[in-house]
Amino acid sequence: MASIQARDLRYTYRGATAPSVSGADLDIEDGEAHALLGASGAGKTTLLNLLAGLFFPDSGQLKLNGEDVSERSGRERNIAQVFQFPVLYPAMNVRENLAFPLRARGWRKANALARVKEVATLLDVTALLHQRVQRLSLFEKQLVAIGRALVRPDVSVVLLDEPLTAVEPSIKWRLRAALKTVQRELGLTMVYVTHDQVEALTFADRISMLMDGRILQTGSPQRLYEQPHTAVVATFIGSPGMNLVSAQVRDQWFVVAGQLLAPAPGVSDGVCQIGFRPEWAHVRVDRESDEQFALPVNLTGWRAMGAVGNRTDALLTLDHGGETLFVHQSGDEPPPPQCRLYIDTARMVAYRNGVLLARPTGNDAA
Amino acid sequence: MQRRADNRAWFAVAPVVVVVAFTAIVPLMTVVNYSVQDIFDVDTRLFIGFDFYRETLRDPRFAQALLRQLAFSALVLAIEIPLGIWIARALVRNQGKSATGFLILLSVPLLVPWNVVGTIWQIYARPDIGLLGAAVTALGIPYNYASNVLSAWVTLLAMDVWHWTSLVALLSFAGLSAISPAYYQAATLDGANAWQTFRHVELPHLKAVLTIAVLLRLMDSLMIYTEPFVLTGGGPGNSTTFLSQYLTTMAVGQFDLGPAAAFSVLYFLMILLLCWLFYTSVMRGGDDG
Amino acid sequence: MRSMIVQDLDLGGRQPVSHEFRRGCINVVLGRNRSGKTRLARVLSGLETSAPGTVVCSDGDVSGADARERRVALVYQAFVNYPNLTVAENIASPMRAQGLSNSEREQRVQDLSARLRIADLLQRFPHELSGGQQQRVAIARALAQDAGVLVMDEPLVNLDYKLREELEMELRALLADTDLTVIYNTSDPRDAFKLGDEVVLMAEHEIIQSGTPLEVYRNPHSLTAASLMSDPGVNVWSEEQSLRAVRPEHLTLDSERIGDIRFEVVLTGLETNGSETFVHCSYQDNEWVARLGGMRHFEMDSTLALAAASGDVLQFARMDAAREHA
Repeated sequence: MASIQARDLRYTYRGATAPSVSGADLDIEDGEAHALLGASGAGKTTLLNLLAGLFFPDSGQLKLNGEDVSERSGRERNIAQVFQFPVLYPAMNVRENLAFPLRARGWRKANALARVKEVATLLDVTALLHQRVQRLSLFEKQLVAIGRALVRPDVSVVLLDEPLTAVEPSIKWRLRAALKTVQRELGLTMVYVTHDQVEALTFADRISMLMDGRILQTGSPQRLYEQPHTAVVATFIGSPGMNLVSAQVRDQWFVVAGQLLAPAPGVSDGVCQIGFRPEWAHVRVDRESDEQFALPVNLTGWRAMGAVGNRTDALLTLDHGGETLFVHQSGDEPPPPQCRLYIDTARMVAYRNGVLLARPTGNDAA
Repeated sequence: MQRRADNRAWFAVAPVVVVVAFTAIVPLMTVVNYSVQDIFDVDTRLFIGFDFYRETLRDPRFAQALLRQLAFSALVLAIEIPLGIWIARALVRNQGKSATGFLILLSVPLLVPWNVVGTIWQIYARPDIGLLGAAVTALGIPYNYASNVLSAWVTLLAMDVWHWTSLVALLSFAGLSAISPAYYQAATLDGANAWQTFRHVELPHLKAVLTIAVLLRLMDSLMIYTEPFVLTGGGPGNSTTFLSQYLTTMAVGQFDLGPAAAFSVLYFLMILLLCWLFYTSVMRGGDDG
Repeated sequence: MRSMIVQDLDLGGRQPVSHEFRRGCINVVLGRNRSGKTRLARVLSGLETSAPGTVVCSDGDVSGADARERRVALVYQAFVNYPNLTVAENIASPMRAQGLSNSEREQRVQDLSARLRIADLLQRFPHELSGGQQQRVAIARALAQDAGVLVMDEPLVNLDYKLREELEMELRALLADTDLTVIYNTSDPRDAFKLGDEVVLMAEHEIIQSGTPLEVYRNPHSLTAASLMSDPGVNVWSEEQSLRAVRPEHLTLDSERIGDIRFEVVLTGLETNGSETFVHCSYQDNEWVARLGGMRHFEMDSTLALAAASGDVLQFARMDAAREHA
């Protein structure tokens, strides 16, 4: 296994006007599960192909375990990859598929088969070893494809290109659990490309979020969720994303709709946006206390999303002066059309020009 | 998912059944009818059972023609299939404008009528005035397709390869183009060499199109008639007389309709059997592709 | 009267299917792959007319009628538009047969494209659009048909997660003020809540339960129905000759809340999405997932005490029959 350091990687497709990857820095530790998250066209697959040695960067440097491999092929980098759909050798059975990367590198048959058995046990596919790959379900096929990527004990990095996109939700959990187990038990360095934030957040130790060929932020799931560096990351992560409300800073206080919301020590006067997650706020009819800040809002939607006991978990859609806000709240019935929104100011974040305003209250640990 | 019989489908198929009956089944039965009767004139006919079949099977010239035929088809397949795949692979590796141009160029021989192919090669390979023939002769290699058996075979094979390899290449090109690049990348990262990539990635994915290519070339080469007829007329001696030409000689030349009909039925059954054998053996291997 | 009713429709399951898809509602059909929901969509839209049974819509019995004769619009999983027509022409294409004047047609195209936020793309061709935009065009084209019924077969499954979420919200708002009977296929239980007025659960080519999402969530008639409405499924154990199940989101740490039923589980894996922790564990040889709020850290392979309120526990007879109230 290996650590990855990428410095200022750049790549432009032949004939393309804009670069697909423009100055990406990555630091991935040995044994880390890392996700590259972004929408289509964000450059995440291009970055993965640069790591895989399928493309070579126009400029920049890529190191595996401190060794410069920018010019080396994927085979020389000793990389394994899992693809969006199960890539298997159609004419081989499961055992032959799993053994192939070892046999192709000159392993003796007995040793290869012993190793195959180990990996098959780990992924719980021992019972399938004699099956032809056509007979397998999609889930089993992808499991075998993952197994083939892990079979070489000396593999440096396992790259996963949207490996769960093609499977339905109920199967995603099982496959991801299987992946996590082997990742942890074998201490594999994994780089996982996805557009699905749930996958990225649940799979990875750390996530790099990409947009327009740049990495906007790298951090733990909690960090990206609670302290997104930019408003773009804030709204991309979470479902629905973070609520942003226009605000101002006046005399070191955040002011929304003419009311003082929270202190803003050390922040200069000017416009900004305050951000809060749907579960960092709640709606009430009455005023809790005269001192506490409350935002007048109109209820425009109420959707049940589940229930605990006889209380309904609902997603509320609110309107505040033309801005749409979402709040998760559980209760017996929908609140009335006119109500007040209370925001948890301890967790709230603020952005100016789309960039996070540092606040001393924020927990800065990654 | 369960499939249910939809009887209305038969109405849609009915016209095809009628057409096939008139164009294939009725003529075939006529031939079968000829093959089991000795017909002297319209009113005098004698049912003789399988005598004509026995006669045909004992005919040493039939056996020789059959052997030649099988050898020819085997050689055609052995050359055209690998060559076609090789050309297709080369084209896929150089995707782009040049590949399109090559594909168009490749398809040109497919558009030339059989008899014209024969005529072209008859002239092209003539040792005195033909470009190819003269060139080979100039190199000091004894070559004359009209008198030398080896020359005749080589010329016939070259002609067939020229005419039909592009069909295999086009089919293979379509098959190869459909393979996702992920398979190649996986094979590279797994450490597969070029041969292993071909054997384990390309070949299994080409199985369906190659089955079609082999079937087409097998059936077609077993029925070859026009080209050797134009080029060598079956000679020198009988060295390039294949089944269909022998059959024509028998039926049209000697007007032995009875034996010729028996021959035809046997010929037809043999092609059917070979294709069926090939198809089932391929399909039993699994449904990859 | 534009609801769509199917009666004794044989989709290949043990029981034929009967159901009324309500007018002015989004009817979410929820089922795993190969549960028969795509076949149902094909039968409803008239692409397949060979399934025995009756299909009734506002125009009467349309069982034998093919897709062209039914007033049913269909949106597929793949983005299907006419590649040689511009966006405007694509949207206008179903209106040709409706006998509208040119100006009326133009007005409708303007209207629909504005509602689907593709008004500035009208002169482009489908191949110049992103996946999300292409699907917006396909939806606009479906709405342009003078159809009473709109069938959507996993229309957003090929889109990016965020885009999907966005379109879901828009679709909900867009369809809320129409009179259409919408039938929306999906395999994701979240879609049932986000979009559905009604949810129809399918398994093994049969409808196993239907109702409002919340009803079905609270009172599943079978274990299959219960696990279809949770992501990931439900956690199962057996007790006193019956099967019990609890949803992942109904489990809490025993120390944090007084649930009346306690479970000692062994931790096998942890996942987090930034705001919740998914605890993978095993209980009585069953694989379980608990969904706890906040970020949690536990030792792997340690024993953990979870709890649930008995009111949230589902109980099923051994044969997976009707739920007896717990």
